Amino acid sequence: MSEIITHAELRRLMDDWIARGGEVIGPAAVKPDLVQYARLESAGLMLSGYIHPANSIKEFFFPRSEILYRYKFTGKKIELSDVVNDPVKPMLIMGARPCDASMLPILDRVFNWDYKDNFYDKRRDAATVVTMACTEHDDACFCTSVGCGPAAEQGSDALLIRLGEDAFEVRCLTGKGRALFQGKTQPGERTAEIPPGPPLKFDADFVRKFTRDNFDNPIWGELTLRCAGCAACAYTCPTCHCFDIVDEGNAYGGARVKNWDCCQFSMFTQHASGHNPRSAQGQRQRQRLSHKFAIYPDKFGEILCTGCGNCGRICPVGLGVLTVLEEISNATPSLESVEPV
Amino acid sequence: MIPQLYSVRQIKQETHDTFTLELDPKDGTKTPSFEAGQFNMLYVFGVGEVPISISSDPTAPKYLMHTTREVGIVTKAMRKLKRGDMIGVRGPYGTHWPIEESAGSDIVIVAGGIGLAPLKPALCHLVARRENYGRVVLLYGTRSPNDILFQKELKQWRADFDLEVYVTVDRAIGSWRGNVGVVTTLIPKAPFDPLSSVALICGPEVMMRYTVQELVRRGVNHGKIHISMERNMKCGIGFCGHCQMEASFVCKDGPVFTYGALENIFGKREV
Repeated sequence: MSEIITHAELRRLMDDWIARGGEVIGPAAVKPDLVQYARLESAGLMLSGYIHPANSIKEFFFPRSEILYRYKFTGKKIELSDVVNDPVKPMLIMGARPCDASMLPILDRVFNWDYKDNFYDKRRDAATVVTMACTEHDDACFCTSVGCGPAAEQGSDALLIRLGEDAFEVRCLTGKGRALFQGKTQPGERTAEIPPGPPLKFDADFVRKFTRDNFDNPIWGELTLRCAGCAACAYTCPTCHCFDIVDEGNAYGGARVKNWDCCQFSMFTQHASGHNPRSAQGQRQRQRLSHKFAIYPDKFGEILCTGCGNCGRICPVGLGVLTVLEEISNATPSLESVEPV
Repeated sequence: MIPQLYSVRQIKQETHDTFTLELDPKDGTKTPSFEAGQFNMLYVFGVGEVPISISSDPTAPKYLMHTTREVGIVTKAMRKLKRGDMIGVRGPYGTHWPIEESAGSDIVIVAGGIGLAPLKPALCHLVARRENYGRVVLLYGTRSPNDILFQKELKQWRADFDLEVYVTVDRAIGSWRGNVGVVTTLIPKAPFDPLSSVALICGPEVMMRYTVQELVRRGVNHGKIHISMERNMKCGIGFCGHCQMEASFVCKDGPVFTYGALENIFGKREV
């Protein structure tokens, strides 16, 4: 026994959400040959037949650029206005890949482990996330190697699995998911098959040990000779979450603005004095990988990577997490400190 | 992440390139309490925000004091503020020096240059409760005699509170007749009992590295050596990733760490 929704009914549900004043986010062809998660004006703009959009759903919870507060000068006086409680619209994310939704529990911990980030939390509260199980994967995908998968349920409120040409099986996973699909589905006899994911490509425990034991390994420097330090990997990564805070203003006032930042930029760690504690690109790459596979798992128990493969697809010099790990694996037989799998 | 408004009460030039910013809460409320070693994010409107340690007396917080050096655009703009100008303050953030926890012990404080500023609240606390501690030794090194901070306080602590203060400079100029050499040269002779001492260190990382070595050589326990780290910070509350040193956020897990906690990464380049 399963719950089934037709494509037409699903589109109606999205259009109703928009008609009620909410926002719908889904994969769309934003330019010829460029599929991204984007705000949809109508359900008809949602694409099917994509493998993974070039961005992630991260930006709808943790925007690329966000005002933290505004200030206004009047003579010597300064007035502050807080924007943290500005309301956000109810947000329906439709057709997220499971590797994208999996980033949500990961970022929930980052932004709530001690202080609470109300900017992130209010968007998270306002969002219902519907994932769509993957029927295809490409060479860049590696979800199964990091504990995720084509029908992984982490972070999802409801999972859709393709059932024939015209329908999806709906698996409601949370109260938000059940509320969304209440009365919209029909019971059916058939259940969808969970598609197989990409084959295992590396052993995450090996990577964890490798990054711990090989701080000074020259491989970091060698690998990143070609790294442009452009941060495309981090900006398209669902889980990378570093940010900068800058001032945008003039003589009358302005705002403090939080912008995405990346540990691959040379200025990321630079002090005002010019001293840079992490000055080499190779060490910045080591930092990124060890944060994902050792530091975050040590602190929170899970890997800071969902295997979406975006870093590999976008890197102009072919240095995604997967390629870096492959090159490390190829180089490791000569290393005594690790046991390659 | 919205700051509290404070107004500048006074800016006091300390040495040729350091100054103390004295701040009052704008709305007339009381200066919030803090622990020695914690920092605030200070925001010069329209310029930028930087983490600066608090250098006032935690046992009598009349107003907020921050002593810093003019280095980057924010601290340079800060120096130009006038009495009555507004500044944004977020904090206090971070871990603190173990002052109350160390009652009964000898305290050895090693400071390098501007590193004395984050230690000043610890010294204020120690002299306010002097009877609770054994020997209190301050070893302080600067580049030249012109860079010695808090000269009035140093004299007062030495004279009135039974603090043993040793100062050394890298380059002797003018009429300097004191010690010459790096601060670590003072450690072997300093009068404290290594087995019952708590050490507090703040200064450039390289200075702290050699100081730790000397203290360990004298037999001070790794867990009793406390160091205050410095990193680029943006949020100050453990989100933004800038100050991450392996698993530690300097803003949250620090700035004050035991050497024991950082042993595996302290002094390692490119962490």
